[in-house]
Amino acid sequence: MTENVKSPPILMIALAGLVVTAAFALFNLATQGHAAFNGSNLGLHWTFPIVVYDYFLLTSTGLAMVAALSLIFGGAHCQPLVRRCLWLALAGLVGGVAVLALELGHPLRAVWAIPFSFALSSPLWWKVIFVIAYIVLLLVVFGRLNQGGGWSGAARPPAILLLLAALGVTGIAGVVYGSMTMRPFWSSGDVPVAFIFESLLGGLAFAMFFTYLAHGFSQERMPSPLKGLLAGMMPKVFALAIVVHLMFVSSRALIGLYSNAEGLQVWQHLVASPLFHIELWVGLVLPLILMLLKATRGNGAAQALAALLVMISLFIARYDYIIGGQLVPLFKGAWAPPLLSYAPSLTEWSLLLMAIFLANAVNAWGESRFRLSSCEQGG
Amino acid sequence: MAKWGMVIDLDKCTGCQACTTACSMENNRLPGENWQDVLFYTEGKYPNVSMKWFPRPCFHCENPSCVSVCPTKATYKDPDGGFVLIDWNKCIGCKYCQVACPYGVRFFTDEKAVVQPDIREVFPSSNGRQWDPPYKGPQDDPSRGIGIQPHGVVSKCTFCYHKVSKAPKGVADLDEDIPELKEYVPACVRVCAPKARFFGDLDNPASYVNKLIADKRGTRLKDETGNKPQVYYLSGGAAGGVPGLRSMKDEG
Repeated sequence: MTENVKSPPILMIALAGLVVTAAFALFNLATQGHAAFNGSNLGLHWTFPIVVYDYFLLTSTGLAMVAALSLIFGGAHCQPLVRRCLWLALAGLVGGVAVLALELGHPLRAVWAIPFSFALSSPLWWKVIFVIAYIVLLLVVFGRLNQGGGWSGAARPPAILLLLAALGVTGIAGVVYGSMTMRPFWSSGDVPVAFIFESLLGGLAFAMFFTYLAHGFSQERMPSPLKGLLAGMMPKVFALAIVVHLMFVSSRALIGLYSNAEGLQVWQHLVASPLFHIELWVGLVLPLILMLLKATRGNGAAQALAALLVMISLFIARYDYIIGGQLVPLFKGAWAPPLLSYAPSLTEWSLLLMAIFLANAVNAWGESRFRLSSCEQGG
Repeated sequence: MAKWGMVIDLDKCTGCQACTTACSMENNRLPGENWQDVLFYTEGKYPNVSMKWFPRPCFHCENPSCVSVCPTKATYKDPDGGFVLIDWNKCIGCKYCQVACPYGVRFFTDEKAVVQPDIREVFPSSNGRQWDPPYKGPQDDPSRGIGIQPHGVVSKCTFCYHKVSKAPKGVADLDEDIPELKEYVPACVRVCAPKARFFGDLDNPASYVNKLIADKRGTRLKDETGNKPQVYYLSGGAAGGVPGLRSMKDEG
């Protein structure tokens, strides 16, 4: 039996939350400008809103990767996940871009100034171009699946392009940071690859969590193909993705702790923080254990919990990475301490909530509008 | 075409901050948002304490990372003079250039005021600029990042483009001691009391700046980044040297 939790309550809650948080953020930005953020010219230029934007963007591309890989390589048993992933990818992107628009100095100018600048040497220019292609392909694939044009036929060619676009966006996002050789905390050749695996893990976590959310956190309410997916392949792939991400996280931390290079002393600071241990042990190791143990691997509550913990862990990772790379000030002498301190302002926190509510509102609307849980649609 | 560059003799610099003050006055900078600054470094613990200082303008690099990362080409390298400038009409305030500059010489001044009281509230602007100071220079060229900084954009030292670009063509050095050239000399160079700063054409073999760089083995800050600054430092060891670290030493 397929039974969805009614979307309207979620939609109403999300819309109400969106109105409150957006009003709070917009009022503060209108009255204080960017002074409402806790960035500073001492070295903290990209702060919490960029963390939120990147998190939502990479989650979106991860979801698109999960959907595209399922469409390209998966069988019909992957079908129930695909449309939900695609719509969630769109919803996440909307949330992230909304925050970015409030972070930029001139968001409207960016709309024309970036695409028409042809700044080929800039990773951000390429990122924007890939994001535009990514959005178009996301809509094309979703549209084809909704036309009932067949599970693997008409949607497969654009799904291949969508996968490439998602990989491109994620990889270039990694290049933006990885190419900063003057910031050893960020710079490394493996960053684009790490971003891709991190994004894929996020996509899997969000796909699982929102599948449960749509079915009232009950496997009993799910259609049997979806139940089969969650009982079989999905948790195993999820566990594998956690392992790969864990290897990136632990190797980066170990090298950071051992190195004497200036900039990497930030690792000492991060590892001494409880946040890092929540990210590592609660957000990655615990979900991995849950997915490895036979008793919990197929359990709905354990899967939803594992997914939620990974989602939180990835957000902490994104925060530590982006903020950590800016904690050592650049040539400010005695005007700045050896290591800058940073905590998000209330306005910055409200932008995170705004993105969450906005993405959930879009997702809930799509859930009811496109009947995402329905197996028949797009089949 | 000239490639303007600066030489700063650290053995002569007294850290008096006259350059910082002159730059702030010339370019209507907000307090604390200094395009040109003299950084102080204190090291050690009592009784073995030393204090060093390091003057730091924008380096107008030959191969600037800020230019290559800018997604709108708002930051650009002027081929006529080698200035690195910002077109405020194209800047979207993404701050990528600030992140990519290894030297921390770029400023997004919409943030909280560095120095209280917030002078922007004392002299508010009504035309989209950060503030409306009671005295302001006549120069205003947003396409080159000259004038009072608007909201939502990044700014930086222009090497006093509005002065230097008007210098007679072919001149090798802009020296404040030469009466007919002094109006073209960057503000920080012109006011330097111990004459620790020199400004000239790095592409002109006859320029005094090139002679100084050659004779005193001029070095550039963090040359390993590949940015190739057009500002050279001279240090015979009598005073401060070029810092190897970008931050103060953590001695806690």
